[in-house]
Amino acid sequence: MRFLHTWVFCISLLFGMVTVNGQEKAKDVLNLADSLDLKKKPPLSLRFGIDLFRTIRSQASKDYQGFEAVADLRISKDIYIATEIGNEEVTKQVEQVNFTSKGTYYKIGFDLNMFDNWNDMDNQVVIGLRLASSSHSQFLNSYTLFDRTPFWQESESVINTGFSTGERPNLNAFWLEVIAGFKVEVINNIYLGLSLRLNRLLRDTVPENFDNIHVPGFNKKTEDNKFGAGFNYTLTYKIPLNFKK
Amino acid sequence: MKKLNFKIVSVFALLWVFTKCEKDDICISSVADTPNVVILMLDKDASKKRTPLGFLIRPIGTEKQLVENSSDSLALPLQLTKSVTEFEFITNNGAGDENIDTLQINYRRIDQFINGACGYRANFILKKSPIFILNSGDNWIKGAIIIKDTVSDEISAHLGILY
Repeated sequence: MRFLHTWVFCISLLFGMVTVNGQEKAKDVLNLADSLDLKKKPPLSLRFGIDLFRTIRSQASKDYQGFEAVADLRISKDIYIATEIGNEEVTKQVEQVNFTSKGTYYKIGFDLNMFDNWNDMDNQVVIGLRLASSSHSQFLNSYTLFDRTPFWQESESVINTGFSTGERPNLNAFWLEVIAGFKVEVINNIYLGLSLRLNRLLRDTVPENFDNIHVPGFNKKTEDNKFGAGFNYTLTYKIPLNFKK
Repeated sequence: MKKLNFKIVSVFALLWVFTKCEKDDICISSVADTPNVVILMLDKDASKKRTPLGFLIRPIGTEKQLVENSSDSLALPLQLTKSVTEFEFITNNGAGDENIDTLQINYRRIDQFINGACGYRANFILKKSPIFILNSGDNWIKGAIIIKDTVSDEISAHLGILY
């Protein structure tokens, strides 16, 4: 009897590894294994991919160039170590100021799955937390001076050289993100995911005679308001990392 | 499962609220804009403020007139694209002994960032010799003293005109 159990266990492991086409068959065997009270450890898996939204927006808008790579590593049934690395160049006209914000950002943290999957399904509804930092620069392209009662006609002319225009290099920002999102397995090992992010700015180097109106990765920063928001729409691929025991 | 669904929905709802409740960028009206230079008409020994008789200031290079152009304390708008602005200082305006002096105010502009909503405003630094009297002959203006060389607000006077 014990001999049989051992075999069933071994076979079920084998079927577990045959991920794509073997799943239908493996299910029965795995159920058998469950009935024998053998806890199946969820496989360590690495998922990586890109943010589709940033990629599409880069194509659609000439004022935006951005790319974000995402990855997560499943370390237990419902816990993932997750990271995003991205690069953005955004040109914005905010009221009377036109500037380009450019830089890279890194985010690292974890995702917690709150969704109980049915057998053989692997979808997630996650909440997560990230620590994020950016190194960026702000380039002030042009601005008009703020004058409520302009007397001279040329007061409203645009200043695009000299004075306060120019680059503010070597800036940093450091923030925390709270995430809610989901990932759905659309084809075997291919996932589509959406996440909404609430950002809380912790620290940023303020550019000289200017401000971080936009921070790559953090998005819009308003005065007296340390909160920002963002989202991504990801396409990821999972590599199952099954190690033999 | 019902509980979980509720949790999920509430998390999304909360996040939605947060993302939508972003503060609008409005430049509020209490924020100071580009200041004018405040001048005082002083006795030639700079001892006291006094309005000259028949006094009038006229900006040069525009058809517009100043809102207030005849007092011992006046706010003059400076040109943003130049480092000089010229005004005609007139005494005994319209009378037989009318005397017009053309004054050039010399300054340097420095732009100061306020915030994203208001953008930048200009500040001015008065140069060491803040005024030139451009016309020769019988000048009723005797000179000028700098009271405060940084023009960043209109609260106090910056330039005293002696006569």
